[in-house]
Amino acid sequence: MEDYDMRSAASILASVKEQEARFERLTRALEEERRNVSLQLERANQPCGDRLPWQQVVMQEQSPSNQTSLAMMQEPQEVVEETVTIEEDPGTPTSHVSVVTSEDGTTRRTETKDNSANVKVTKMVKTVTTRTVRQLPLGPDGLPMPEGSSPMGSYTDSIDRRFMKNGDRFVTPQATSTLTRSYNNYNDSYGETPDSQYRHFALHDAYGDVADNYGSLSRGINYRPYRPYMAAGGYRMENSYTTLPIRKDDYGHMAQPQVPMGSSTVDLNRSQPERFQPEPYGLEDDRRSLGPDEEEPYDLEPDYSTANRRTLPGAGRTIREPLRDGPRVRGYDDPIEAELIDERHPYIPGMYSAPLAQPERGSMASLDRMGGRRSPSIDSIRKDPRWRDPDLPEVIAMLGHPIDPVKSNAAAYLQHLCYENDKIKKDVRQLKGIPVLVGLLDHPKAEVHRKACGALRNISYGKDNDNKVAIKNCDGIPALIRLLRKTNDMEVRELVTGTLWNLSSYEPLKMVIINHGLQTMTNEVIIPHSGWEPEPNEDSKPRDAEWTTVFKNTSGCLRNVSSDGAEARRRLRECDGLVDALLHALQSAVGKKDMDNKSVENCVCIMRNLSYHVHKEVPGAEKYQDPSSLQAPGSAGPQRKKKDDAGCFGGKKAKEEWFNQGRRNGENDKNYDTLDLPKRSEPTKGYELLYQPEVVRLYLSLLTESQNYNTLEAAAGALQNLSAGQWTWSNYIRATVRKEKGLPILVELLRSDSDKVVRAVAIALRNLSIDCRNKDLIGSYAMRDLVSNLPSGQQRPAKNLEEDTVVAILNTIHEIVTDSSENARSLITAQAIDKLVAINRTSQSARETKAASHILQTVWSYKELRNTLTKDGWSKTHFQPTASSAPKGSKSGKPGYDDITLPLMEKNQGDRGCGSGAMIPMDELGPDGYSTIDQRDKDCKYKTSDGSSDLMEREPLKNDTNRKHYIRSNRPAISLVDACDVKPQPVDSWV
Amino acid sequence: MSFIPGQPVTAVVQRIEILKLREGDNLILGFSIGGGIDQDPAQNPFSEDKTDKGIYVTRVSKGGPADVAGLMMGDKIMQVNGWDMTMVTHDQARKRLTKKSEDVVRLLVTRKSLQDAVRQSMMPR
Repeated sequence: MEDYDMRSAASILASVKEQEARFERLTRALEEERRNVSLQLERANQPCGDRLPWQQVVMQEQSPSNQTSLAMMQEPQEVVEETVTIEEDPGTPTSHVSVVTSEDGTTRRTETKDNSANVKVTKMVKTVTTRTVRQLPLGPDGLPMPEGSSPMGSYTDSIDRRFMKNGDRFVTPQATSTLTRSYNNYNDSYGETPDSQYRHFALHDAYGDVADNYGSLSRGINYRPYRPYMAAGGYRMENSYTTLPIRKDDYGHMAQPQVPMGSSTVDLNRSQPERFQPEPYGLEDDRRSLGPDEEEPYDLEPDYSTANRRTLPGAGRTIREPLRDGPRVRGYDDPIEAELIDERHPYIPGMYSAPLAQPERGSMASLDRMGGRRSPSIDSIRKDPRWRDPDLPEVIAMLGHPIDPVKSNAAAYLQHLCYENDKIKKDVRQLKGIPVLVGLLDHPKAEVHRKACGALRNISYGKDNDNKVAIKNCDGIPALIRLLRKTNDMEVRELVTGTLWNLSSYEPLKMVIINHGLQTMTNEVIIPHSGWEPEPNEDSKPRDAEWTTVFKNTSGCLRNVSSDGAEARRRLRECDGLVDALLHALQSAVGKKDMDNKSVENCVCIMRNLSYHVHKEVPGAEKYQDPSSLQAPGSAGPQRKKKDDAGCFGGKKAKEEWFNQGRRNGENDKNYDTLDLPKRSEPTKGYELLYQPEVVRLYLSLLTESQNYNTLEAAAGALQNLSAGQWTWSNYIRATVRKEKGLPILVELLRSDSDKVVRAVAIALRNLSIDCRNKDLIGSYAMRDLVSNLPSGQQRPAKNLEEDTVVAILNTIHEIVTDSSENARSLITAQAIDKLVAINRTSQSARETKAASHILQTVWSYKELRNTLTKDGWSKTHFQPTASSAPKGSKSGKPGYDDITLPLMEKNQGDRGCGSGAMIPMDELGPDGYSTIDQRDKDCKYKTSDGSSDLMEREPLKNDTNRKHYIRSNRPAISLVDACDVKPQPVDSWV
Repeated sequence: MSFIPGQPVTAVVQRIEILKLREGDNLILGFSIGGGIDQDPAQNPFSEDKTDKGIYVTRVSKGGPADVAGLMMGDKIMQVNGWDMTMVTHDQARKRLTKKSEDVVRLLVTRKSLQDAVRQSMMPR
C-alpha cells in the first residue's frame, strides 16, 4: 500500500496542489458563508462568545493534521470530537456543526499541501465540509466569525436557502442530486470566478459536472434529504444527527485497538500515519461522508480507493490477517458502505435518542486513545447524557430494520464490535444475532450482505467453536456458498471465503463445507485464480496463478477441510479440476520463483493431505499394488528382523546383501531404470496427477527454493506420503526422487532450523529408503546429518528438537541400517553409537529409548562390525535393551513404530489396519500431524499474535539462506545423486 | 533422429522464420521449449531416442508468431539463427531465442513427419 500511495502521490501531486488551492479558496468561502449564515440564524438563539472558542479549537487541530497526511484521514473523527466540545453550549446543536466545518476547511488546506498522496484526505475534508453545510442550514450556529472572513455573507445566504429548499423538497431524490452537482461545479470553478460560481451554485445553474474530488461533497448533500425525513424539529434532529456521525467516528477508532495512541495531540498526529492503516474504520468514517450515490468519484480518485482498501480491509480483514491486508482489491465499495452508515445516523438518533450510556467495552478503549488528541471533546462525549451507542440488543434489532441502510450499518457496527472480542461474539450469539446476519447474506443489496458477511467473519473467527456451530446451525454455510456463487464483488468474495476459512477450522464443520461448497469454491475461485485452463485445446499462453486474497482464503479453507479423513480426501480428489488447478498454481509459483506466500503454502498442504494414503484410497489402487513388493520393504521389515535375529544375514558380506536386496527390492528400481513409466494414452488429469512422478520435480523445486517452513514441511510431507506404500506409483516416486537428485535436497533440509521440516524430511527419507538404491545413498550421505540431529545424552543439541522429531530420525536411521551392514558401518563412523547409547540409557522419553535401542540391537547383529565396536570400547551390554526399554522379543513387532504412530493416528486408525506394517506408521505420522498443524497455523494466523509469529518465521528464513550457502560448500556432494550430473530444472520455458 | 554425441547428425530440416511479436517490453515467440543437455532427456515426451538432449518445442500457442510461422509441437530445434541447439543447456537455448535485439528468429527444425516423409520418398518402390 505504501508503494502504491507513494506512486500515486507522485503522479497526482500536481493536480492535488491545484485542487488544494481551489479547495482552500472554497473552504474559506464556505466557512465565511457559514459564519454569516449562522450569525444570521443564531443571533436570536446563541451568544456570540461561544463561537470564538470553537474556532480556536479548530485551529489547533489543524496544525497537527498538517503534520501528517494520514491525520487527514482521521479527520472525521476529529470532527466528531469537536462536536462534542461544542456541546458545552447546550442550547444550540447547530454550533457543533459549524465548528466541524471550520475545522475541516483549515485542515484541508494544510493537509493537502503536505502530501500529494493526500488527495484522499482532501476529499475527506471535503466531506466534512459537506456535513457542515448541511448543518448550517439547520443550525444557526454560524457564530464563529472571529477568524475574520471575507464578506461572503450574501453568497452564504443564497446557499442556505438552497439548502433549505432542498430539504423541503427533499422528498424527491432528484433535488438532492441536483444539489450535489451544483456543489461540485462550485468547487471546480471556484478558483476562477468565485462570486459568479457561488451564485450559480445557489441557482443550480451548473449541475452538469461532478468533480471527482468533490464527489464527497455531493454525497454529503445527499444526506440532507434524510433530515426532513427524520424529523421536522430542526435543531433537535440535527443534534442527534451530529451525534451519530460521531459514533461512526468512534467506530473507526475502536476498530483500531491495536494501534497505540499517543496522549498528546502532537504525538497522535505523528502516529496517525501508522495507525491509519491498521484502522479499518477510521477510513470508513471518511467514506461515510462521501456519498454512496456517486460511483464516479471512486474511479476518479485513485488515492481514495487506496485509502478505502486500507480501511475496510482493516475492519474485516484485520481480524484475519492483520498484517497482510495491505493490498486491497476493492476499495470502492467501502465508500459506499460508509455512506450508508451516514444515512443510518439520522435514523439511529431518532430511534435511540435516549440518554446514553457509555459505549461498550473494547470499542470504547479506542475512544480513550483518541481522547488524547481531543480530550475535551471526548470527555464531553462521555459526559453528555444525550449521546450513546446503541447497546447490543438494539444493534441486533436494527438488523431487522425495514430500511436497508440501517441494516447494513448495524451489521457493520456488529462487525466492529465483534472484532477480537470474544465476549461480544458470544453475546451476539446468545442474542440470536447470528441467524439474522445469516439471513442478510441473501439480501439483494450489496452493502447489506457485505456488511453482514463481514460481521459473520469476525464472529466466526477465534477459538469459540460455538460461534461457528451457530453459523452452521442456521444454514450459514450454504448461504455463504450461495453468496459466493452470486456475487462478483471481490470484497464480498473475500469476506465469504474468509468466513469459510474460519469455519473450516472446526472439525465437525469440515464435511459440511465440503458437502455444500467444495465444487463451488473450486469452480469460482480455485480454478479461475490458479490460471489453469480446463480446456487444453486452447493453446494460448498458460496463465500464471494470481495470489489473490480470495484464492488464499479459499485454499486455506480447503487446506483445513482436506485434513478431515479419508472421505474428505476422496471428495477433494474427485472434485473436478481441483487437483489440476492446484498443481498448475504450484507450477506457476515455481516458475515465477514466488513460493513463499501463504497461498502456495495452502496449496502444498492440500496436495500433501490429498497424497496421503493414495495407494489405498484411490479408485483402482488395487491394480497397481505391487505384488513383488508385498514381500519386500514395508512388510519385509519384520521379516528381515526375524532373519537378523536368526542370524541368517548376520555375517553377510555387503555384496551378498546388495545382491539379496537387489533381488527383493531392487527389481522395481531396475525396472524403473530401464523401463519407462507406463505409457499414457491420454493426459493425466484429476487425482491421478497427485502421484505421477512428474510431481516429484515440483516438490523438489519447492524444497529447494521456498523459504517458508510450512511449505517446506508440506512438500517433504507430500514426498513422504507418495513414497510410502507398496504400489507401482510409489516405486516410481522413490526412483524419481533419486533421479531428480532429490536426495541431496532432502538431506540438506535435515539441517533446517525448523523442527517440523526436519521431521518431515526424516520420515520422507525413511520411506524413500524402501528403494534399496536410495537406502544405499542415504546411508552413505545422509547419516551424518541424521546423527547430528540427535541429542547427545541429556544435553540436547542446539536445535532442541521435539521428541517426535527425534523419534522420527531414530526410526529413519533404523530403517537405513536394517539389512545393510554398510550403512551400519557408516552409522558407527558418524559417531552415532555414543549418542544412541546415551539416549538408550538416559533419555526421558520411552519412545526415544525404544527407538535407539532398536538401532543398537540391529547394529550389534552385524557380527562383522563387532570388532570395530569392541575396539571403540563398546561391549554387548551397550547394545542390549536397558531394563526400561522394550524387551528384545518385541523388536520384531516393530513397537517403536507403533509408538510413534499412536498419538497421531486416532482418526485414521481404521484406514491403516492392513498391509505393510512398518510403512504405515510413517504415513500416519505425516498427514495426521499435518492436519493438526494446519489448525494450529490457522489459529495463530488469525490472532493478533500472528504478527509476532510471522516475524519469528522470517528470521529463521534468513538463517536458512545462510545455512544453505554454508551447506552447499561442504555438502555431501552430488554423489548422493544417482548417476547423472543433471540438475532438475523446469521442463520447458516459454519464449 | 537418434544421435550419438560427437557424431555428425544427419537430419531433414525445415527452415522456419518467426517474427517476434512485441507486447509491451516483451518480445514473444509464442512457443515453449524443453530439453537441453542439463535436462533429463528421459522426460522428453517428443524424442524418439530417450537419450536425446536436444531442444524440443513443447508447446505452441495458438495463433502466436510461432504458430503462424509453422512451428509445431514436438519439433526439434537444430539451430537458432545459425547457432547450434543440439548441444546447449536449456537456458542457453532460451537466451538464444529471446534476444531482445533480434526481432526475427530463424530456426532450423526437424520433425518426425519430415523424416518419415523423406524416408518414404527415398524408399525404392
